[in-house]
Formats: sequence, C-alpha cells, structure tokens
Amino acid sequence: MCDIPSCLTNVCVLYFAKSAELSGVREELLQVDTPINSQDLWTRLLGLRVLQGHVVLAVRHQYVAIDDQEALTLRDGDEVAVVPPLSGG
Amino acid sequence: MSSQSPPLGASKKGRDIFKLSHHRLSVEDVVAAVGSASCGAISLFIGTTREDQSESGKVIGLEYEAYEPMVQSELAELCRRLRARWPDLAHICVHHRLGWVRVGEASVVAAVSSPHRHDGQRALVCLLDGLKANVPVWKKEVYEDRKASWKENAECAWASCHGNHDAQTMIGQ
Repeated sequence: MCDIPSCLTNVCVLYFAKSAELSGVREELLQVDTPINSQDLWTRLLGLRVLQGHVVLAVRHQYVAIDDQEALTLRDGDEVAVVPPLSGG
Repeated sequence: MSSQSPPLGASKKGRDIFKLSHHRLSVEDVVAAVGSASCGAISLFIGTTREDQSESGKVIGLEYEAYEPMVQSELAELCRRLRARWPDLAHICVHHRLGWVRVGEASVVAAVSSPHRHDGQRALVCLLDGLKANVPVWKKEVYEDRKASWKENAECAWASCHGNHDAQTMIGQ
C-alpha cells in the first residue's frame, strides 16, 4: 500500500464581499499541504466563522464544497477564492 | 472584462458575449450584439436597482464586485448548457455592472436571439436563474444612513435563504 506523498505549496487566497470585510484583506499568500481537503484548508482562513455553512471555495475557477470528503491537489500559484452567497443578476 | 467566443462549429454560429462594466449599461448595445437576420425574436431582460426600504431607511444604491475570471468561465458554461437545451438559439449577450449603481439604474442587461420567440424567452429565464445561482458576482445594498449589507440570491445553493425563491435576506451585520 502506498501513501500519497504530501508536500507544501503556495496558493493565493482571494477574499470577496463579506469575506473580504471579515478578513480585512483582499488576498493573501498561504503555504498549505497538498493534497489537502477543503475542510482543512478552510481552518487556515481566519476570522470567517460567521460565514460557516454558507460559504464555498473556488479552486482554479471550480466551486468546491467545504468538507472533509475529497482531497484537493493544489499547485504552486493556484488561486483559492472564498465565495460567500452570490448576489449577481 | 469583455469577451466574445468564437463560432461554436461548422453548423453553429452563435455568439456568447459577456461584459462587466463600471459604466452605465447600454440596452442598445446588448440588443445590437444579438441581432441576426435569421432571428424573429430578441428576448430582453433589464435588471434595475429598486428603492427598497429597511430599518436603515431607503436603499440609495448598490455596490457590485465580482471574481472576474470565474464570471467568464461560469457564463460560458451556462451558455453551453442553454445551447444544448435549445439548439436553435442564435446569440446570447450579458452585460453586468460593477461598482456603484444608483437606484433606478440598470445593473444587468441580458438578451437572447432566436428564430422564434418561445425558445428565446425560455432560455432567457434559465439564463437569469443560472446567473443568480452560479456566477460569482456580489452586491451590497447601501442605505440612507450609510449602513450596508450584502445580499444573497435564493437561487444560490449555499445562501441561507436557498429554496425560498421569493426572498432575499441580509447576511450578518
């Protein structure tokens, strides 16, 4: 049985709307394990507790639910967006 | 951001045209973008900023922001699904505001052209539903007392009001 090798990678977290107000920043660089599940990634993002349950992430422009089910493979320079409920249109 | 997709293939010449703008939208531009000699119908929607009332007083305007690269990819996917469902659609155009939008101004203009009106009208409804559910744009209502709150679309699966299609609610102040 083989273990999936884990390493560190640098991603750019983008904050939008309410999450930008809560975090106080629009973007930050983060060093994270890869692979990582979205729940663990979420715990690295501070100050966003009030959004819990009503927020998703977007990794490489694909929506990702915040749970511990699926491992995300992140690459150096990837964008991870914090996506509060949408209100376009 | 401005985008125009290439023709979809030998038998399909439909254009998908998206634009995010910090300036007043032009309905005429959107209508012109979908015009086609083969079309008998242009279905058009204009979303305007309402003067709603809240505990903080009247809404004086909306502030919009967007994750622009992903707006592009989500609208492209949405149009792909619309065209799969209604193969006769000609052109689709969506212009959406960013930044400050005063009460009474248009925040979104969308149009679909089709040979006959039924496909275009139904596709337009689905386009708007999909835009509200999946396209990463956010709006903040700003009130007379300068307080503000971020809105949520009921169509968005992770909104606290999801499932109640007649309601929009404020997220924590």
